[in-house]
Amino acid sequence: MSRIIVITSGKGGVGKTTVTSNLGAAIANLGRKVALVDADFGLRNLDLLLGLEERVVYTALDVLAGECRLAQALVKDKRLNGLVLLPAAQNRNKESVEPEQMKTIITALAKGYDYIIVDSPAGIELGFRNSIVAAKEALIVTTPEIAAVRDADRVIGLLEAEGVSKINLIVNRIKPHMIEENKMMSVEDVLELLGVPLIGVIPDNEAVIVSTNKGEPLILGDPGSLPALAFKNIAQRLEGEKVPFLNFASDQGNILTKLRRIFGG
Amino acid sequence: MIIEPGVSMDETIEDASASHLVGFCSQVQIKIEDNRVLLILPTAEEMPLELPWSEIWQEIKYLVKQREQSWPANAAVCLVVGDRLIDNRQLQSVEEVLTEAKLRLSAIRTSRRQTAVAAATAGYSVEQNLLPNPLSLFDVPPPSTEPVEMLAEPLYLKNTVRSGLEVRHPGTIIILGDVNPGGTVIAAGDVFVWGRLRGMAHAGARGNQMSQIMALQMEFTQLRIANSVARPPQKLPHNFVPEIAFMSKTGINLARASDFMKTHSFLLSEDCWVKKN
Repeated sequence: MSRIIVITSGKGGVGKTTVTSNLGAAIANLGRKVALVDADFGLRNLDLLLGLEERVVYTALDVLAGECRLAQALVKDKRLNGLVLLPAAQNRNKESVEPEQMKTIITALAKGYDYIIVDSPAGIELGFRNSIVAAKEALIVTTPEIAAVRDADRVIGLLEAEGVSKINLIVNRIKPHMIEENKMMSVEDVLELLGVPLIGVIPDNEAVIVSTNKGEPLILGDPGSLPALAFKNIAQRLEGEKVPFLNFASDQGNILTKLRRIFGG
Repeated sequence: MIIEPGVSMDETIEDASASHLVGFCSQVQIKIEDNRVLLILPTAEEMPLELPWSEIWQEIKYLVKQREQSWPANAAVCLVVGDRLIDNRQLQSVEEVLTEAKLRLSAIRTSRRQTAVAAATAGYSVEQNLLPNPLSLFDVPPPSTEPVEMLAEPLYLKNTVRSGLEVRHPGTIIILGDVNPGGTVIAAGDVFVWGRLRGMAHAGARGNQMSQIMALQMEFTQLRIANSVARPPQKLPHNFVPEIAFMSKTGINLARASDFMKTHSFLLSEDCWVKKN
């Protein structure tokens, strides 16, 4: 049974596409077959982050129009076995696809892949509805900012109404030193408000910017970096393994706070 | 001893023109009647601003899923649509939602011919309460203009009210869960939040000053009782105790919930709560 996971946030600019590309690569690295679906029609970015832009020939719209077969539109990542991308069309907008059409494509993809990961556009309009129509699970990406958390809360409500009940949270762009100085919402604050299980925390790190600009997922370009490790851990947690959360403040703080973090206290 | 953390009374709006009273029945309602569930859609008259069907459908979905299940499995549902035009597809979408909740759509109550035809074609039994014929020889008594101030049964929700969600009910609302910032709860009666109240709550939304708002943790963005509005105090307490918000002579006040009824009473002559001596 393949897993169809939508990555969404409500607010824009919190790192949905970055999470999609890096997480997709990390899961593929575990030996799974992963299809990434860019549902951001009109503002596609996922191909850029994966460094696959020049290899895009057909898009999801061409498949729907019957101009090519689904397999032809899939762009295989040559660096990682098992990772493919279904690109969105750049020359149209979000209204050019209907939820039913999206469902058809994703259901067809589900036959050949272990994971279908859908990168949702920002907002809660048709583009969002398209991206969640076939999803069984959702990963909510948020940053520790009130606007992002508020929008995440709204999106969780919408997902629950649509019957997507398996919802996990990724808190992106954590700055440990700011949290310690009480200048930033902590992961606990976010969790307490949203009330959905945490599956990963990704630190704010320059390696992410470098890797997105190079079009190379972290697992390939900088596998030793902290965010790469964070993505690897999320991939393993999705696979059902119990992996302790990273302690980003390892160079500061006393043993007690470290232990508390490890045991999720 | 009574703790009354100073809820800013300075923000109370007394201007009648800035009325916050809410017209009701703009939402889908569920009632239980003779062993069956009545699902009542707002009529076109009650709703000057026509809600798109998708929103009504969302509301049905939310209500059916989140309402404390007070009906037996596979209970029959009568969809009361009034003068609303419902087509076959819409009926089908309602049925899907109900089936998921282990309910069975069995009848449609409508006053419109077209809707009745659609329902009958789809195989539901139709209860037609046609609008009185304007050409009738007999005088039909006009509907009473004075609305009867009857509160509906309490609405019991076991769920978090998340941002963007607005729960309205012409009675008391009980929520087992949090009301998150951006979430709104509007009741004609009282509002009970067995959790954190961080969004907006409006009790007595038809003007009943006696209505109260209770929460285990009062961290609201705004409270409204009848016509008054209050903002949270500048400084939130560190240790929360269950609190109760009520109308005092000076505006909306907060008090510790555990002994409120012993220390306060409602003065009808003043139309507000006063401390007992």
